[in-house]
Amino acid sequence: MERQQRFMSEKDEYRFQHQGAVELLVFNFLLILTILTIWLFKNHRFRFLHETGGAMVYGLIMGLILRYATAPTDIESGTVYDCGKLAFSPSTLLINITDQVYEYKYKREISQHNISPHQGNAILEKMTFDPEIFFNVLLPPIIFHAGYSLKKRHFFQNLGSILTYAFLGTAISCIVIGLIMYGFVKAMVYAGQLKNGDFHFTDCLFFGSLMSATDPVTVLAIFHELHVDLDLYTLLFGESVLNDAVAIVLTYSISIYSPKENPNAFDAAAFFQSVGNFLGIFAGSFAMGSAYAVVTALLTKFTKLCEFPMLETGLFFLLSWSAFLSAEAAGLTGIVAVLFCGVTQAHYTYNNLSLDSKMRTKQLFEFMNFLAENVIFCYMGLALFTFQNHIFNALFILGAFLAIFVARACNIYPLSFLLNLGRKQKIPWNFQHMMMFSGLRGAIAFALAIRDTESQPKQMMFTTTLLLVFFTVWVFGGGTTPMLTWLQIRVGVELEEELKEAPTSHQEANSLEKNTTKTESAWLFRMWYGFDHKYLKPILTHSGPPLTTTLPEWCGPISRLLTSPQAYGEQLKEEDVECIVNQDELAMSYQEQAPSPCRPPASLSLAQKASPQTPSKDNIYEGDLGLGGYELKLEQTPGQSQLN
Amino acid sequence: MEPGDAARLGPGRAARALPPRLLLLPLLPLLLGRGLRAAASASTGAAADDSSAMEELATEKEAEESHRQDSVSLLTFILLLTLTILTIWLFKHRRVRFLHETGLAMIYGLIVGVILRYGTPATSGHDKSLSCTQEDRAFSTLLVNVSGKFFEYTLKGEISPGKINSVEQNDMLRKVTFDPEVFFNILLPPIIFHAGYSLKKRHFFRNLGSILAYAFLGTAVSCFIIGNLMYGVVKLMKIVGQLSDKFYYTDCLFFGAIISATDPVTVLAIFNELHADVDLYALLFGESVLNDAVAIVLSSSIVAYQPAGLNTHAFDAAAFFKSVGIFLGIFSGSFTMGAVTGVVTALVTKFTKLHCFPLLETALFFLMSWSTFLLAEACGFTGVVAVLFCGITQAHYTYNNLSVESRSRTKQLFEVLHFLAENFIFSYMGLALFTFQKHVFSPVFIIGAFVAIFLGRAAHIYPLSFFLNLGRRHKIGWNFQHMMMFSGLRGAMAFALAIRDTASYARQMMFTTTLLIVFFTVWVIGGGTTPMLSWLNIRVGVDPDQDPPPNNDSFQVLQGDGPDSARGNRTKQESAWLFRLWYSFDHNYLKPILTHSGPPLTTTLPAWCGLLARCLTSPQVYDNQEPLREEDSDFILTEGDLTLTYGGDSTVTANGSSGSHTASTSLEGSRRTKSSSEEVLDRALGMGDQPVSSRGTRLVFPLEDNA
Repeated sequence: MERQQRFMSEKDEYRFQHQGAVELLVFNFLLILTILTIWLFKNHRFRFLHETGGAMVYGLIMGLILRYATAPTDIESGTVYDCGKLAFSPSTLLINITDQVYEYKYKREISQHNISPHQGNAILEKMTFDPEIFFNVLLPPIIFHAGYSLKKRHFFQNLGSILTYAFLGTAISCIVIGLIMYGFVKAMVYAGQLKNGDFHFTDCLFFGSLMSATDPVTVLAIFHELHVDLDLYTLLFGESVLNDAVAIVLTYSISIYSPKENPNAFDAAAFFQSVGNFLGIFAGSFAMGSAYAVVTALLTKFTKLCEFPMLETGLFFLLSWSAFLSAEAAGLTGIVAVLFCGVTQAHYTYNNLSLDSKMRTKQLFEFMNFLAENVIFCYMGLALFTFQNHIFNALFILGAFLAIFVARACNIYPLSFLLNLGRKQKIPWNFQHMMMFSGLRGAIAFALAIRDTESQPKQMMFTTTLLLVFFTVWVFGGGTTPMLTWLQIRVGVELEEELKEAPTSHQEANSLEKNTTKTESAWLFRMWYGFDHKYLKPILTHSGPPLTTTLPEWCGPISRLLTSPQAYGEQLKEEDVECIVNQDELAMSYQEQAPSPCRPPASLSLAQKASPQTPSKDNIYEGDLGLGGYELKLEQTPGQSQLN
Repeated sequence: MEPGDAARLGPGRAARALPPRLLLLPLLPLLLGRGLRAAASASTGAAADDSSAMEELATEKEAEESHRQDSVSLLTFILLLTLTILTIWLFKHRRVRFLHETGLAMIYGLIVGVILRYGTPATSGHDKSLSCTQEDRAFSTLLVNVSGKFFEYTLKGEISPGKINSVEQNDMLRKVTFDPEVFFNILLPPIIFHAGYSLKKRHFFRNLGSILAYAFLGTAVSCFIIGNLMYGVVKLMKIVGQLSDKFYYTDCLFFGAIISATDPVTVLAIFNELHADVDLYALLFGESVLNDAVAIVLSSSIVAYQPAGLNTHAFDAAAFFKSVGIFLGIFSGSFTMGAVTGVVTALVTKFTKLHCFPLLETALFFLMSWSTFLLAEACGFTGVVAVLFCGITQAHYTYNNLSVESRSRTKQLFEVLHFLAENFIFSYMGLALFTFQKHVFSPVFIIGAFVAIFLGRAAHIYPLSFFLNLGRRHKIGWNFQHMMMFSGLRGAMAFALAIRDTASYARQMMFTTTLLIVFFTVWVIGGGTTPMLSWLNIRVGVDPDQDPPPNNDSFQVLQGDGPDSARGNRTKQESAWLFRLWYSFDHNYLKPILTHSGPPLTTTLPAWCGLLARCLTSPQVYDNQEPLREEDSDFILTEGDLTLTYGGDSTVTANGSSGSHTASTSLEGSRRTKSSSEEVLDRALGMGDQPVSSRGTRLVFPLEDNA
């Protein structure tokens, strides 16, 4: 009898597990469908629907089927136990059911009004992920990949503008959205659609901050495909990447803003505490991420791990993941840490890796990024139907649509104006319009919104976010190509053209202006470049001038210790050639044809290739940086890479 | 940061124990549906009530705390792996071969286990026992009303009453203990898939008969012998009075089944590095791969053995045959499932032009392979077995349809996953020796088990080799047999099977014993491989392509039966009739249907299905038919092989010139001497894996040598 029962519960668990397999299978199936459809689209050069949009469509369809085609079944957890003896909720509960002790673990608290919908359709319930999965599993690879594939040259060149857009812009957008939404909430209260006191100003700000995370993945994919102007690409990409980081930290700081007495009045102390929190977390995550990347760079530099590409790749992957986990363990934001880890890895570690590993790591993260992104968008489509606590409020949704446009405008136009005061190469109007237009919302906004859907305002926010994401991805994403032609933004920009300073472009760019741009626009970049080139690169990579020459006398032993033998060797060559070699970039892996994994021959061939192009000292920046972006062009000919 | 530091961080912050499954938070939910909603949800929202706000804050803090702890424990593992990688690099760099990376991972795991066990203070648990009489069944989810608030609890497991106290122990130790299902759902699939994907096809299929015999018969023999021996040991223990709980014959058989899964990863790595004889390699590798599949299914069918009568542990013919039926059903079901998804992938990649977009192709490949696993699990088959056969099918067909970039991408992807998963398991093994809390060390049982596995291995290898040698022309030499006997290492699979169920006393004892056996075999036998190879006079440094050893080979120790040149040919013709049957079917029908290669179906299929044949034949095939091109050059294209992965960088450059040269000359020879229909087959095989030459100069290569 006893055995029989044990068998029963084992079977129960068995079935339970298989359910999990079925759910994952549904997602796999959706993704496979998406891939095949996308292939079809790409094959026929349809650009109006990006793969993420496709994933959402399929998710929607599947959600519809699940919602209306499956019979509502009872979840067996119908009964509610009353426990007078328990004063609090323990994390583990041992329950003695007819002499058989079962262990239960705490899952979550359920608010009263959620109990009844909770016992609805079992399959819908199953198809709902824990929101923490987004933050712990799906977003890190996406963000890391974004950091890892930042185009360094243009990124650093536009560093000032990007930082302005990302920090100031996000703050402005957050506040503007928050204020507008507060107005709408007041109107709703007035109209009787909302009880007073349900929706506080902090909630509005919370909404504003999560809505500020733009994610123009669709637009960027099209830009990439059409080879749109690189400065525009960099501005958008850099902004959106840093944006995410800022929005995440901002959301967190707002959510912990808890004044002492009146929880919703303004309190200077609490406010400054929040600001302090924001800065602390941001700086901490930044430090954590870069620290891990620096460790990786040193490890790959001082061991000859490049003889074993697989070990190298493994190490790279593990250390990058460690950055995430360490940040989480230290109470910081893992995603932000991972972003900066990615940027640093691309800048330093990447140069130390063997050719094989360069390709491997890039492909690995590209692959993970692709899967994770599509899973998220697929899930978004699904969530519209399977999430059970939607609150559709027309006024709020309308207000949100209005708010994000106004806020985006307040973000882009004034900031661009201010930036244009300082920039030599102005951000033209059509660029500004395009940036305004590219304010898509994506994975981060969704993940932030779904993280907390307990209270009513949060549920309303979640629903609105979902609709916003749908609308922006489909409509804006689909309208990118027409918009580009309408705004007369030049496409088909090849890097070679830039190198030659081709006066052929029909736009305002002429060669003279370009030169001055590069020397003057990015003083931040140049300062950073000097420091980076003289100290950081030689310490962390095999390149650069030997530290013995750049560091002062008294730290001679350290510098000798830290300089790799290769650095001395390269000193023999011409100064500018060396510079180019060192700047060996992400794109290089595609260009390389030598099968040997070691660096010296590679850099030699590169040097020969590069030296005729950059004869004058004046052109150093131009030349070496210009080589960086070959990726675009060379990716089109994947046949080459087989030779690696 | 040292692992020790990470370990110390944890208990300092230790507050509440959330279940160990949580600690896989970033990994687990991806695959394991159970984890989908099992994680801590941090948020409780901003409710208006003031009094509840404090409590809520406390719960929120708690959840955050536990998340932090999960991160720390996962970090511990990652740092362990990092350390392993660095040390392994050092070893490889200095060509130290006595310790493989898996062995090293175990050592590091052990060290961290010791630190965790003795370096962290034991905290008391927070469990509360609640008596409940209303219900007679356990629910998977439970809503508990605690003073007006509702909490949701999920079922974690059943606890035998004696263990209630031991549950409340060190938090940190509980944190680093996973749910055993993680092994089956996350860690093993990539390992097994990679094994299937990298099977050396040519040698594998040539030795197919022997490998199948070793894997199926051998595992069954080994299982029964170990089971019987262990039953004797258990009886002995009962007499001596060392046994404190029940231990049935089925338990013994179960132990036999799990310990029959050999995993000579250490030995194979050394073989690979030293280029030991390819036939031996294929035999060992093929056996160990299939072995795992057989052992999994075997153990689950032994568990399913439930006699109907009163005495639940007596022999019952009906139940026995039911078990056998289950075994066959699950095995063939999983096989079909894997093969079918492999075929579907091949068809999809053949008929779409997906190869223009390597990323999409790779993603599709990955998702399809993963779907195999999920599909098999959802249908009640064994996912791991399905994944294995899926891997083999993918390597055989789909691989040929992929673009060049996707080939290297998929290979590298699974290589990395395999590497990480394997070392993760081994370091967890080391950790488990100290952190697992229910060890039952029984010296008699352990000694008995050691004796049993050696006897079981001997009874498996020698008689089977004897029988196989009756049928084989290319005999399995004594030194090969000794080597195979010696390579009976136990590894990840045995461990995962043993840890899957540790509820009863007997199972705990088995788990402990398995752990010790794995340690012993990996360290001692793995370390002794190189001396053993030289002692047994097994030739090393063999180029995988020149498999009939040339006459003047100084290393040659095979006992041939006739002139060597003739023997090599005869081997191919006669030893593997199974293979040849399969090969012609494969070559004539399957390859043309599923890939771009082979003769057009219009020529191989009978006339009446001409339409179908035209439909399924890809345009490339007709091109390949062009009379101008040599028949065999076409094979080089299609048989592009997996050996490339193993070659590594050093071997590519080292073997580069010599390897291709010898291979091509031997090819020239064979072309001159033979003219029968056998020749095509022979050449195709001979050229199957030329890792070096087929890489750079694919098409031109044979012509170039002619000139």
